[in-house]
Amino acid sequence: MIQDLLTNKKYLFASGANTELRAQRNLNRRAVLLNGALVGNVRTEQFGVSARVYENGVYGFSSTAEYTDETVKDVLQAASENAAFLARHAGKGKGPHKAMAPNRIVTAYDLNDVEQRTYIEFIQALDGYIAQKYPDLMSRTIIATADSMEKLLCVSNGSDGHSILPRSYIYVVMTMAGADGQPVELYEVVGGGYGTFDRNYTKPEDCYAEIDKLYDRLRQKAKDGVYPEAGTKTVILGGILSGMLAHEAVGHTVEADLVIGGSVAGPCLNKRVGSDLVNLVDFAHTAFGQPTPLPLYVDDEGTAATDAVLIKDGILVGYMNNRESAERFNMVPTGNARAYLFSDEPLIRMRNTAVLPGKSKLEDMIASIDDGYYLLDTNNGQADTTGEFMFGVTFGYEIKNGKLARPLLDTTISGVAFDMLKTVDMLSDEMIWASSGMCGKKQPMPVGMGGPAVKCRVNIGGTRWRPCRRRARTRPRPTSPTPSPMSSTWTEASSASSAPCSTSSSP
Amino acid sequence: MDGGEFSLFRTLFDKQLAMTAIQGGRKGIVAQNRYDEATLRESAKACLEAAASAQPDENWDFAPLSQNEDFVLGEVTPDTDKLFFRCQELMASVKERFPTIIMEQMIVAHKEVLKAKANSYGVLFSTHQGSYQVQLMFSAHEGEKASSFFGGGVIADNLDKPFLELGSIEKDLADVERQIDTTSVGGKFEGTMVVTPGCVGELFYSLLADFAGEGGLLSGTSPWKDKLGEKVADERITLSLAPLDERIVCGDRTTSDGFRAENFDIIKDGKLSAFFLSLYAANKLKLPRGKNDSFNVVIAPGDKSIDEIISTIDRGIVIGRFSGGQPSSNGDFSGVAKNGFLIENGKIGPALSETMIAGNLADMLNHLRAISREQVADGMSVLPYMVFDGITISGK
Repeated sequence: MIQDLLTNKKYLFASGANTELRAQRNLNRRAVLLNGALVGNVRTEQFGVSARVYENGVYGFSSTAEYTDETVKDVLQAASENAAFLARHAGKGKGPHKAMAPNRIVTAYDLNDVEQRTYIEFIQALDGYIAQKYPDLMSRTIIATADSMEKLLCVSNGSDGHSILPRSYIYVVMTMAGADGQPVELYEVVGGGYGTFDRNYTKPEDCYAEIDKLYDRLRQKAKDGVYPEAGTKTVILGGILSGMLAHEAVGHTVEADLVIGGSVAGPCLNKRVGSDLVNLVDFAHTAFGQPTPLPLYVDDEGTAATDAVLIKDGILVGYMNNRESAERFNMVPTGNARAYLFSDEPLIRMRNTAVLPGKSKLEDMIASIDDGYYLLDTNNGQADTTGEFMFGVTFGYEIKNGKLARPLLDTTISGVAFDMLKTVDMLSDEMIWASSGMCGKKQPMPVGMGGPAVKCRVNIGGTRWRPCRRRARTRPRPTSPTPSPMSSTWTEASSASSAPCSTSSSP
Repeated sequence: MDGGEFSLFRTLFDKQLAMTAIQGGRKGIVAQNRYDEATLRESAKACLEAAASAQPDENWDFAPLSQNEDFVLGEVTPDTDKLFFRCQELMASVKERFPTIIMEQMIVAHKEVLKAKANSYGVLFSTHQGSYQVQLMFSAHEGEKASSFFGGGVIADNLDKPFLELGSIEKDLADVERQIDTTSVGGKFEGTMVVTPGCVGELFYSLLADFAGEGGLLSGTSPWKDKLGEKVADERITLSLAPLDERIVCGDRTTSDGFRAENFDIIKDGKLSAFFLSLYAANKLKLPRGKNDSFNVVIAPGDKSIDEIISTIDRGIVIGRFSGGQPSSNGDFSGVAKNGFLIENGKIGPALSETMIAGNLADMLNHLRAISREQVADGMSVLPYMVFDGITISGK
């Protein structure tokens, strides 16, 4: 646990300014088996303290990897000097943010940082199971990951906090020869979610059913997969895809900093952007009476986290804000200011963004389509501030005469979010969440996203080429400093694309 | 800057320490950001424990001792006032010359890095470097109409030039201003695709990683796995990884394995001349290692200007950004052509939206129509326009 060296420095906070002090530790653990060989075995830790000062409408920020009484004072002073420097050159004549009631919000979690051996032995057991049961695979990759963020926050105005956000996951990637001999790939996140590895994974046998299901889907895809017919089609987006839509195609456009930057949502506030059935919320810590996949109780500006209602009955009703943008738009801040590392300043970020379920049964939705597609899995997606989106689809089925037909090979869908949402005419009464995602808007950030099955119209594109194949990738190290304002990687920040806007869900 | 206004000024001080242990062929890595004695000892212990947990593989190794060296690169001490001036200058130029542009975000930084790489064979390289980085994200607006956003970045080792003159920033701003009103190509056809230098980098990133990188070779899925020395591309294509090129700013002087970095060709006159392999992968595959792992791509220019090339195209598109998934490991790709324009009868026409493209990266390399004489150097790569035939282009 991080020792509190912050609270007793409050006497140094300048009056007439907003000040935040944050000490933070990020842990990452990772083990990778490729065809039984351990090709990744890494543990990382990043720890330090930062200060941010808001004065005259601009921010000063500073951070250091040393965490002592002296360095806390040093970063506070440096942040104040930086704010003063910028205020001299570009001050906006603004006073401090609106006052918030003081509070202290603590999220307890017993962070058990297990040995590397635990990850390796667990995935070795899974690898042995797969190798023995499915010898016809061309290759198999198993990845165990765990990350956590512990934050100690002390603010001049609002809620202090001490939070821990741990996650852990196992990814299984399988490759099989397709009908023409070319490799066909599919992957799945097996178990996992909020919590440390030892709590999420107790017995390898608990993962076997999901592995068997993955193999079965891959076999269907490899042996019988077809490309969809290109064109504008009626489809059912499964919950993983509707969650991607909620986050990538809609969520980013309603982040207030991107609204200020000119996103499509700016002129759409209080206007219809979807059919009456569409509701979209960025949940903080509780949804439908249950904890969200990645619960957040206080953000890094000291705002107690509450839900941000974005679309209600098809009308765009709000944005996600930090305290500064909330004042600009005369909205109530809901705790969306989040920083990834101790050395990062808080940005407007999503927490757990979801399309809300409707009242239809999935089987009725399928039965209502004569000629369309049921799209289940995605490995990547990209969206524009105009709302134009593209998602890769890795698994799905044709729908013919109200029934599921042949499985699909890899394809893409595209559309314009606020046009596409107006075509939604059925939503299933059940939804699913995903939480292994890592959004990459300037900084990486763990996020949850989810949704029900959504019936709508999108552009679906086949490809004229041979069957697509995918696999775990070893990427060269990106050297581009190109910002990624709206990108998400499902799995690891280090693989964030250099493209201005992208989402990748490959492990 | 956010939304066209200065918003934050920050100074960061950080440390990084990565330890790799190879003991009995077992490898473990631990990384953290403190240098105090207790943390160092704790990290070394954790590193050895991680290695002990691993399976043995005789192919793990470090670089042997050769010639140690200290490098000083770029401008290690920032000129903060001039940096701020260049920011103000850029914003003033944008306001005056590109009035419809909203600069959603501009991040300008000076980064000073002091690093050392050492191993138990006696290798010790140190590097002290400083560079300026400019990252932009912007779109153009008229009333409620807006272009797609565009992002770009440049690295420089001095502040001698206005930011507008770096990389392709000026052209990118001008192009985006013309992308407020768009059209879709309409229908589906096989045509010519002009790929801008920035987009060339995006496309070749996947190609090199999957075809010439160790992932595809270790798993055996790379289509080029048996093609070393053979023709894989049009003979006009020469592609190098060149961190030591004078147009690359603060390129790596050492590899991750501890070798001194050298430039090398992946494709030379259309032939595959090397793979992009770490020492581990090279040992495992019994192939030569890559002479650097920096991914500073340099593609040799052609002999015609881009305007001359476009004048010969009957029907095609210019693509400024590719919005698609990672191409498949066989090179198949499909996605949306962003920040692009229609080409008809040798002339650039209206900007495009909702236009999809599909193709295969390996086939593209053999369907090269032309490479431009112009190259764009952004401090990280040096890339020309590349023009390919046989791309499937479809509209709404």
